[in-house]
Amino acid sequence: MATAHLETTLAPEKIAAMYLQYEVEQFYTHEAALLDHQRFEEWVDLFTDDTTYFMPIRRTVPRRNLSREFTQPGEMAFFDDDKATLVGRVQKLGTGTAWAEDPPSRTRHLVTNVRIVEDLGTQLTVETCFHLYRTRLKSEIDEWIGRREDVLRRTEEGFRIARRDIYLDQTVLLSQNLSNFF
Amino acid sequence: MTIEAPGTTAYLESLVDVATGELDRRIFSDEEIFDLEMKHIFGRAWLFLCHETQIPKKGDFFEAPMGKDNVLVVRQRDRSIKALLNTCTHRGNAVCRAEEGNVRNFMCTYHGWTFGLDGELVGVPGMSDFYRDELDRSKHPLRKVAQLDTYKGFVFATMDPQAPPLQEFLGRTGRIAIDLLAERGDIEARPGVQKFTLNCNWKFTADNAFDYYHPQITHISAQAVGMIPSADVNDTGGAKTDEGKALGVQRLPTDLDTLVALGEYGHAISGPSLDSMLRTLPPEMHELVTWRRNPGPLAALGPVGSRFAGHPHLFPTAWFTMDAQISLRVPRSAGVTEVWWFSFKDRNESPEEQKAQLGRQIHSFGPAGFLEQEDGENWSQSTAQTRGGASRDIPQLLKMGLGRGKIIHEDGVARIEAPVNEHAQLWTYLSWLQWVKGTDWDELRSATTPGDYI
Ligand code: FES
Ligand SMILES: [Fe+2]
Repeated sequence: MATAHLETTLAPEKIAAMYLQYEVEQFYTHEAALLDHQRFEEWVDLFTDDTTYFMPIRRTVPRRNLSREFTQPGEMAFFDDDKATLVGRVQKLGTGTAWAEDPPSRTRHLVTNVRIVEDLGTQLTVETCFHLYRTRLKSEIDEWIGRREDVLRRTEEGFRIARRDIYLDQTVLLSQNLSNFF
Repeated sequence: MTIEAPGTTAYLESLVDVATGELDRRIFSDEEIFDLEMKHIFGRAWLFLCHETQIPKKGDFFEAPMGKDNVLVVRQRDRSIKALLNTCTHRGNAVCRAEEGNVRNFMCTYHGWTFGLDGELVGVPGMSDFYRDELDRSKHPLRKVAQLDTYKGFVFATMDPQAPPLQEFLGRTGRIAIDLLAERGDIEARPGVQKFTLNCNWKFTADNAFDYYHPQITHISAQAVGMIPSADVNDTGGAKTDEGKALGVQRLPTDLDTLVALGEYGHAISGPSLDSMLRTLPPEMHELVTWRRNPGPLAALGPVGSRFAGHPHLFPTAWFTMDAQISLRVPRSAGVTEVWWFSFKDRNESPEEQKAQLGRQIHSFGPAGFLEQEDGENWSQSTAQTRGGASRDIPQLLKMGLGRGKIIHEDGVARIEAPVNEHAQLWTYLSWLQWVKGTDWDELRSATTPGDYI
């Protein structure tokens, strides 16, 4: 009875939408696992060659001036990377002498509130919320919560990130650095 | 060993031994010393607040720290600039809770007292009904800093009415420090100040500006991926990793040819000479420093000032980089320091040049910078160990080049030419001691005027 009910009420486009949501969520779960397992070379392969990876500076401004809350591309930022720079960061981690991550931080990337906000067929725009939890050395704890806006391109190998904008819910960063990926 | 009573001049003098290049580690974690620093250094020195181009329009403001005080740097209707303490004269609430923005006036959200851009109290709810018009509004404006002045667009203020004029405080070395940025062209602040938090004492961040001994180890991973050049010369002195491997440490190509300037009140410059920098940089990057030899900049910098390509640092906390940035170190407590990065561009440069520079600025420094990622933990761990009862008794060493710093006086600059050394750091602490003792301005100046040797 239950199966028959499902078949009669779920239109094919709804099933397609669910499957797409599933695919996208699987992608993010996989990406987070790569980061938390320190598999950075595989992680950076998830980005297209023309990717951009951008984290603006956020500022406390009056509500009236909210348009000035985040810096824009071309202004100062925390990250404003192309693929070569991202690969450089991964190479730096691989030198064995990147002391900020040696001993390595313990990280946990929680990715949630996955919303596909646009589907152009060849690419999707997806918004996610994240919680990056990091502990270091004996007793250091840092946490970053925020929102990401990605452009995911469909390729033969699956989704690839063609753009990532990262919006942190902090103005003055409470951490000593940003030596991890978001 | 005689133990001096904390807080006395004799005690403070026991903390810095310039002759042996040894410091007492207590200066990095004692709360009483931090309180003295707040009073005698941050309560008196001219402090960098912001650049004029950050607040171009009337009503634009930027909140800047001065010790534990917060001031609003505000562009006035007549285009001048004022700095007002961000505390309501009624019962103390902050009258502005944003880092920057634009306002017509500042209204306190506690009881509604309203202050003009110039700080005058212009509105008091219930003025006639509650106060019966007996409150003299003219007596309760937002308080101003004691003195405010600008040097080539850079805004400074001091809380001390007795402080010498800004130009005199900066002196030749301090002015060269700013000229090395200001004379580059038509300078404009880029929107966005990076701010982040370190669990360290502010003096670790300050003396590190001069430390050209640490890049070859601290930043070895950035060197390995080509962010900073290396000389194919190893002088590891037996340094090995935990598992006994030689790291193949390569010093910077400029390391044997560095220039130091020591200035009154504790300002200093240290790092590569321009010539050694030119030998190191690829030709396409020479323009980063060769502009200093153009007629305008050369006239301002002078024959000696134009030879520096290292790191100027204005006492107490403003470090100027070679590529148009200022790193302001903001002490919050003995063990917590914020770093604020101000970044600039030259309006005369092409959009391509401006973009390339922006990339260099973002990718070198700041919390995600290829270089600066590694700095914070050195300083936080160094600070943490100064709290150990036994660890704090071990002296902090600044012995590199000790006694070899022959000072050459020329064109108003006191300079030292030497391989990598710790002269400028020692100068910082020598000056710090004079400040923290509460030495009066005249004596402070003479006690921090370089002699013939350090
Ligand atoms: S504290 Fe500001 S109006 Fe009362
Ligand atoms: Fe460094």
